[in-house]
Amino acid sequence: MMTSSQWRRVRDLFEQVVDLPGGDVQDWLARQEPDPAIVAEVRSLLEHHTVAGDFLNEGVIGRVSDLLAADTVFEAGAVLGDYEIHKEVGRGGMGRVYLATDRRLGRSVALKVLAPLLARNAAERDRLRQEARAAASLNHPGICTIYAIEEIEDQIVIAAEYIDGHRLREEIGGTTPSPREVVDAARELVAALAAAHARGITHRDLKPENVMRTKTGHLKILDFGLALLEPRDGMAAAPRITTPGALVGTPAYMSPEQLTNGPIDVRTDLFSLGVTLYEFATGVHPFAADSPMALAARILEGKPQPLSTLRPDLPRQLVVVIERCLQKKPEDRFVSAAEMILAIASGDLRPVSQGGIGWWRTHVRATLGLYFAAAAAAWLVRESFHGASELLFVVVALAAAFGGVLRGHLLFTERVHDRARVLGELVRGGTLLTLVDMTIGLGLLVEGLWLTPARPLTGVLVAALGLWFVVARLRIEPGTTDAAFGAKIVARAGDR
Amino acid sequence: MAEPRPFHPDSDAQAAAVYNELRQLAAAYMRRERQGFTLQATALVHEAYIRLAGTDIVFKDRHHFVGIAARSMRQILVDRARARNAQKRWAQLDKVSLTESLVHAAAEEAMLPALDEALTRLEQLDPEQARIIELRYFVGLSVEEAAAAMNISAATLKRRFAMARAWLFRELKGGA
Repeated sequence: MMTSSQWRRVRDLFEQVVDLPGGDVQDWLARQEPDPAIVAEVRSLLEHHTVAGDFLNEGVIGRVSDLLAADTVFEAGAVLGDYEIHKEVGRGGMGRVYLATDRRLGRSVALKVLAPLLARNAAERDRLRQEARAAASLNHPGICTIYAIEEIEDQIVIAAEYIDGHRLREEIGGTTPSPREVVDAARELVAALAAAHARGITHRDLKPENVMRTKTGHLKILDFGLALLEPRDGMAAAPRITTPGALVGTPAYMSPEQLTNGPIDVRTDLFSLGVTLYEFATGVHPFAADSPMALAARILEGKPQPLSTLRPDLPRQLVVVIERCLQKKPEDRFVSAAEMILAIASGDLRPVSQGGIGWWRTHVRATLGLYFAAAAAAWLVRESFHGASELLFVVVALAAAFGGVLRGHLLFTERVHDRARVLGELVRGGTLLTLVDMTIGLGLLVEGLWLTPARPLTGVLVAALGLWFVVARLRIEPGTTDAAFGAKIVARAGDR
Repeated sequence: MAEPRPFHPDSDAQAAAVYNELRQLAAAYMRRERQGFTLQATALVHEAYIRLAGTDIVFKDRHHFVGIAARSMRQILVDRARARNAQKRWAQLDKVSLTESLVHAAAEEAMLPALDEALTRLEQLDPEQARIIELRYFVGLSVEEAAAAMNISAATLKRRFAMARAWLFRELKGGA
């Protein structure tokens, strides 16, 4: 730390040389001042003086005016243009929202008062206005209608449909929604997105704060296309004002391409929709982290906990759809909201019941046991009829051993991993298992028929065992798998 | 220069005087700023006034008043930035390219609390330089206006401002 006399000396020297053109200032300084610490300080300050650019050169107010504008508060009874303000109903990074009356039409509106556009040139400002006006032309039951966008007293004022209800954010973390409710939310939100996308309008800031639940229980998306109006100024990852208890503002619902300044299209909204639905269903953010930076890192690279683990009761098809929305690369998501609607509609959306898994386990265990019985039966036949059934025994025994390994593996996977993994195994090993069971079944059937003339009872029993394998694989197992995992999805996934 | 006149913002007449002074002060930058900015300047003046009116400061003269008003404006802006978690954003900012990053309003907003702390340190070393920064940066006065408010020549103010600016720039760049 400098003493005050040292500081004064530094100041005097600095003031003598600061306006001089560069060159031999160094030598001059050394001649003037014996204390090397003071010379070093003057030199350091001179260096910083030259590299500081426009730092602090202009008054700050003009540039950070939204610091002040966001806090312009209107009291009840205040009049802004043709609007009479009644009360504040919310606030966010873009400004405050009031319940107001449009005095021309006598209707209630939600009045959003925004900071002035900080875009630096008129062309940019016009473009933003145009896009906002396009968004205002949207008319869909799942979208909050914008009545007017006006500039009153230097502020941008948006009059929108007043929605009596609450924000989806308030539901998150409360009572867990039923599978039915999650499906409904997905359907309503994606339908609204599809309507907007069809008109070339993306939301870019979809999040639970921007979704309202009306008194009749339907969802409406707020602020379509208005994300553009928010003064971001290139600080895309900067958290804005957040409501208490909420995760940091906007970045939590940004897509990887938004975080990395990549090209943005409708698939960006699908990512944010995926995050919103995931959080609604589970109560936790898929990429939850302690800091905005860690959160951004998780959005870019982290893998969310499988939805099927957190909500095993959700319809399998819905889980697949939501997880596809959360893919990092836009090309791995749905191409459009319309395609997502089809995907939801094409699948089985019945909730997965928890009872089914027990039956499935019993079935697999029973089959495991019967593999031994099948091998034993084949051995018995071979012992009674030397030579003739040697080949059949080898085939049946090998198939049984192979089937035992496959089913053992399934049981193990089901115990250790989540359902998604089991489903994967079921799809991958499905054809092989059918082949194994059919081989055993047909082998035993042939042996049984063969044996019947000599030893009728044994022959019939062996044939019946063979028949059981065929029927169980083709008829019973699809049932138990359906109960446990939703077999139709297995079949469809198998087609791919 | 006007005769030093003591005034206290408690009485109505004096409150009005304070308000007018603040408005004139604000007008200094309002004139120069582009359209659409008036409202913010007015809002700032309102708030600065409310804060001043709540204090027991007796103003010795116009300079004293301008100084206090400038301090008040600095506090308002810094408080707002703090309320928006500016420190966190500041911590994440790449300080190596400080001048480039400050082109963005959001970055500048994030810088305010750190600047405030550095300015408080500068105040220990050189209260005059800290005051100059307040007038130029937080109030937005021009070199001439600030020089008049400080009772020094424009050339002197310019040089003192240059040093304060270099010092603060080094502080904010961090470490090096």
